Amino acid sequence: MMKRTMTAILTAGILFTACKKDDVSTPVDKTNDGTFKVFTEGKITTVQNLMADTIIGFAPTGQPYGANKFSFFSIENNSLIPSTDSATSRWDIGFKGTTIITNAGTSGPGLGGAFVQIGTFDGLNTISPDSTFKMDAAPVYAITTGSGKGWYNYDGANNLLTPLPGRVMVIRTSSGKFGKLEITNYYKKGVTPAASASDDEKLHNQRYYAFRYTFQSNGSKTF
Amino acid sequence: MKNLFSIVFIFCFLSVHAQENNPFPDSTFNNDLSEVVVTATRTERKIVNVAVPVNIITQKTIQQAASLRLKDILQEQPGIFLTSGFGTGVQMQGLNPDYTLILVDGEPLIGRTSGVLDLNRITTGNIKKIEIVKGPSSSLYGSEALAGVINIITDKTNDTKVGASVRYGTYNTFDGNITGSTRIGKVGMSAFINQYNTDGYSIRPFSVERSKLPVSRTTPQLQVSYHVSSKTNITISARYNYEYIKNELAVSNNGIVTFSKGREKNKDLNISPTLTHNFSNKLRSTLRLYGSRFEGSQKLNSSGGEGYDDYFLQQLYRAENQVDYSINKKISFVSGVGYVKEFVNSSRYDDKNSRKENVVKYGYLQTEWLPVKKLILIGGFRYDDNKVYASAFSPKIAARLNVSKRLSIQASYGKGFKAPDFRQLYLNFTNTSAGSYSVYGALEAQNIILVLDNAGLIKQYEADFYKLQTLRPEYSNGFNAGFTVYPAEKLQWQLNVFRNDIKDLIEARLVATRQDNTQIYSYVNIQTAFTQGMETNIKYNINHAFTVLAGYQFLQTADKDELKKIRDGNYYYTRDENNFSVILKKSDYIGLPNRSPHMATLKVQYEPTHQRWFANARAIYRSKWVVFDKDGNGIYNKQDEFADGYVQLNSSLGITVKYGLRIQAGAENILNHVDASNLPNASGRTFFGMISYGFNRSKIKQSL
Repeated sequence: MMKRTMTAILTAGILFTACKKDDVSTPVDKTNDGTFKVFTEGKITTVQNLMADTIIGFAPTGQPYGANKFSFFSIENNSLIPSTDSATSRWDIGFKGTTIITNAGTSGPGLGGAFVQIGTFDGLNTISPDSTFKMDAAPVYAITTGSGKGWYNYDGANNLLTPLPGRVMVIRTSSGKFGKLEITNYYKKGVTPAASASDDEKLHNQRYYAFRYTFQSNGSKTF
Repeated sequence: MKNLFSIVFIFCFLSVHAQENNPFPDSTFNNDLSEVVVTATRTERKIVNVAVPVNIITQKTIQQAASLRLKDILQEQPGIFLTSGFGTGVQMQGLNPDYTLILVDGEPLIGRTSGVLDLNRITTGNIKKIEIVKGPSSSLYGSEALAGVINIITDKTNDTKVGASVRYGTYNTFDGNITGSTRIGKVGMSAFINQYNTDGYSIRPFSVERSKLPVSRTTPQLQVSYHVSSKTNITISARYNYEYIKNELAVSNNGIVTFSKGREKNKDLNISPTLTHNFSNKLRSTLRLYGSRFEGSQKLNSSGGEGYDDYFLQQLYRAENQVDYSINKKISFVSGVGYVKEFVNSSRYDDKNSRKENVVKYGYLQTEWLPVKKLILIGGFRYDDNKVYASAFSPKIAARLNVSKRLSIQASYGKGFKAPDFRQLYLNFTNTSAGSYSVYGALEAQNIILVLDNAGLIKQYEADFYKLQTLRPEYSNGFNAGFTVYPAEKLQWQLNVFRNDIKDLIEARLVATRQDNTQIYSYVNIQTAFTQGMETNIKYNINHAFTVLAGYQFLQTADKDELKKIRDGNYYYTRDENNFSVILKKSDYIGLPNRSPHMATLKVQYEPTHQRWFANARAIYRSKWVVFDKDGNGIYNKQDEFADGYVQLNSSLGITVKYGLRIQAGAENILNHVDASNLPNASGRTFFGMISYGFNRSKIKQSL
């Protein structure tokens, strides 16, 4: 009896120290406090609260407007790229309201491109060899805009925008490598307001992207 | 299901207990078996001889609840869910308000908006009883009687009597009724008038907008009957309803608020002359003429400058002859033929001066056969031939077996249908603001689009364009089966299971896109769905003073296409707690929105015999229901947004003083459950007081 108890305590101790070690090696603060944050766990990088031309005022018609500027992001470097670099190949993907651009075609000088695939993020392991990457040709983009057409659904009755579930964006970076990306939310702190929430709450918390992605640095189409 | 068993168990236990201490062995509790109903068969039948589920709401129930409008009393009925949007509608067996036919004295009420007939339009002041038949009754009533029929039977007695009542309560809600009737020789007359006013209320904080608008309604009703001979009777009924709604709107579009002021007027007139002749005690003929006119207009002036002016006029004229014939005590027939002409003018169509018209010719036949003493078999059908949409054939069969005095079982199958309405045929609507789109009725869409195409304005035809054709009615196959049992003398238990399979549901679909990318919608028969569930009711007389009535409905619904896609797999996705996409599991699928899977009613009534007091407490429970497709996957599932489940508690207390004078007071929504977005038609807690007086000469004579 005594022996068994001792073994149990020892085992628990070993497990405990193992866990502790693990925690130390990945000091990730995953709490979403509404600020912009990027963190990587294993292969997957998560981005919270990427502000994409958030609303700064209303036109006399009631139409909300932002500063009309894209937020540029580098998937290869896991970081925001200043808009002064918009004409360079430093960024891979840009966000402005519901418009998403990749660094190619009319959007930039890079080798980028994208397409939307139906399925789960985990379910996409290899990009099919016969798939075609589209390139931006403004006003038509590789990631189609419009409710129910590309990556989101807009509910006019409740004025709420939801990223369509089961959509993976397959991204070709500006250097021609591949990544997969899933948009998880469009609102601050990653929480879609309730349908019954005020217009004010819906407007001032929107255009805060939350997404996760995986980037394959060796250039292959397998993640 | 587990809950149900425990309820049954508790009641079985109580009933055993009651039998032991039964102080009133001669109870006349089972009296309601001799109740006569008319809606289920279109002829007077004792409820023990009716093979379809029927609920009856008596005048006493309405009075003791001090209900004002039809919605007040219907919401307390088991299996009835009130919907909001275009007024208060009724959802039965999980089907939308469009699919329940609402009759006053057997004649249909018209003037629906988006398929909803606003239950607030109907006063309960002169209702003698309400019969609710569940399951398809199109075999007798034609279109709309798909989920069921609610027949409001007004008080038409010609005793010499007068009555008046006044009720006043929170939000300056005033309701007054005056009624009088008499008989002079062969002429009987009854007159009634109801006046209802309310200031309405706002349950949204800091909002000028009233959830319930200030309303004034006036409803006079007049009925004259002439007793030609012992065999022949002529009756003329006229009912008018005038509704004036003050409108003050605040529409917020992206934070910019536009204030609008205006008014809405609805006028509703029904006249029905009836001639009844009894050729013999086996053969009776009834000729009914019916004219109904509903005129609704709405005017709004807004601070943004853009006004709104809406006009809608619907007229229905009908002639029908019904013959009731019994060959012998075992076999009888009910048959009829009819002709309906219906017109609509509306600013929602191409031109409000262009009158849209439909003609329906119909015939129906129903046989009742009692092959052996305890068995009743009913079979019948109706055929509706329509001018502007495909015709409809609606058969029905039903059986009831009265196994013993304590047990009866019944089952029925019926086909129900709902004709495409004028909106689905003729709508001509273009929204120039948000999103900019057009909706055209199915009869107009093809022509309009072809004209646009010839002018080079159409960019592309969508797949559903090629489905545009003459609209078919929406069909259902409805099954109902159940039993009524008296486990103990003072205990009644009813149970009914139902299943409605609906096909050809009409939906607005994208049919074409204009060159400027604006979208054109029209109506096509496309969707298939089902609703199924169980309704059970228990009535228990605890003793000479207390009665308990409990009702429960369990409901499941699904869009069949969605369900098939989920079963086939990998089609619908949702999100997990991390907002990561996952494949939707079948167990997460909800089905049709705005439906509570569990609904219950409980009423405790205190009414001691030989005393003047009564009191009651009525509770209504609805479990949470899905309201918004939050994950954007196009269907309703457990990950979406729900309205909270709730309990509403109402109570009333009264005393009958001398000379027919009754004083009553009560409180509604005592628990003060308010949900501005999902229950806009329910105010917070309210109180009322009421005085009524009734003088009945014949009753006084009897007591002398």
